[in-house]
Amino acid sequence: MTFDYHEPTSVREAIELSARFGGDGRFLAGGTDLMVQIHRGRLNPRHVVSLQCVPGLDGIEVDGAVRLGARVTHRRLESAAALQGALRGLAEGAEVVGGHQVRNVATVGGNIVNASPAADVVVVLLALDATLTCLGPAGERTVALDGFATAPGVTGLRPNELLTRASFPRLAPRSATAFLKAGRRRAMEISITCVAARLTLDAGLERCQDVRIALGAVAPTAIRARAAERHLEARPLTDGLMRETGRIAAAECRPIGDVRASARYRALLVATLVPRALARCLERIKLGAP
Amino acid sequence: MTRIALSLTINGQTHDVLAEPHRTLLDVLRTDLGLIGTKENCLEAECGVCTVLLEGAAVNACILLAAQCQGRAIVTIEGLAAPGQLHPLQRAFIDHGAVQCGYCIPGMILAAKAYLDTNPEPDGDGVREALAGNLCRCTGYQRIIDAVLSAARALRTSPPSQAAR
Repeated sequence: MTFDYHEPTSVREAIELSARFGGDGRFLAGGTDLMVQIHRGRLNPRHVVSLQCVPGLDGIEVDGAVRLGARVTHRRLESAAALQGALRGLAEGAEVVGGHQVRNVATVGGNIVNASPAADVVVVLLALDATLTCLGPAGERTVALDGFATAPGVTGLRPNELLTRASFPRLAPRSATAFLKAGRRRAMEISITCVAARLTLDAGLERCQDVRIALGAVAPTAIRARAAERHLEARPLTDGLMRETGRIAAAECRPIGDVRASARYRALLVATLVPRALARCLERIKLGAP
Repeated sequence: MTRIALSLTINGQTHDVLAEPHRTLLDVLRTDLGLIGTKENCLEAECGVCTVLLEGAAVNACILLAAQCQGRAIVTIEGLAAPGQLHPLQRAFIDHGAVQCGYCIPGMILAAKAYLDTNPEPDGDGVREALAGNLCRCTGYQRIIDAVLSAARALRTSPPSQAAR
């Protein structure tokens, strides 16, 4: 393991360096994935391009939309005042990642481009219909987060492109989010299964007007449970309906069995966590309703 | 591989080091600067024995490049209190018998320091969560938790002098 270290001071310079190094270069943000992969010998970049002095990547902006800079840390997601209330699910996803040491440096952008099927924050961002802004030598483009990861560790990021931010629309009135994770301990744990939900109720606070259900660690990438979402549309949110929705989500995920849990257990967790996440959203909307 | 000149601010002192760009802060602390209080173990940000404070926040020095630390204040266990003195956390760990083999303790204490700096009135669950990134294979953690809670009380009644950080 040996490489040259570069510390560009603008996005443009970062992209230029990356274009010059081609496949020999890697961007470095928090290092919680990259440095581990380098130590394990799985990655051997000849040039590491640190993003720490690149301005404009660490903002949390809320106006018509919510924009999270790629270098926003998990710690900042946990504590940002703008992400309390209806967006609490995002903080819930961030606060269960690693320990404090990891969350102090691990970034939103890193969580996305590392493309782990168990990436907790990615699951919440999926439920928020996030889009990604990628900047490369050919210019800037916006892509949907849904479908960005195509396999474990593989994304649609083009060579020498830099993910600069994740954005999502502000929530409609009568909306809430929730995130739930199952692991064998409460901290420092890779999710066995995790679930994020975003729910919007109709004006009567009874029927589902809009819903997203996203699942982690039960498919090669984080996924949306679309059949489960459709099942809820325009129907009164009874306990029975939420349980049915959980079973539908369990049927449409594609878990594997591994060292952490069997495939069957993961599917059972989906069936349990989906209705719990929905119930939590429902409770939050009603608590926040005038 | 070309070495680069690094200027690192550690425990309030500036150290000029020539190091290869791929070397971690942990490696430079221990090998070049003789600051061996920061321990080395998993090298994957799992165990927390290499915890140092970077601009006051607990981070794992094993996945942090020394080159990333230029111009940023680092505190290691050696700099927690003035020479010959104990920080209230160190005093509490001794008083509570929270130390067995001791290998995890520098990281535990620095993670606890970062936590207490922003949460001066913690409860046991808060301390457990704050130390989740620090593994101890000897103690079963209870005396460590007790020590941190006790240090928090001590810090509230008599904050350490200016000499101690």
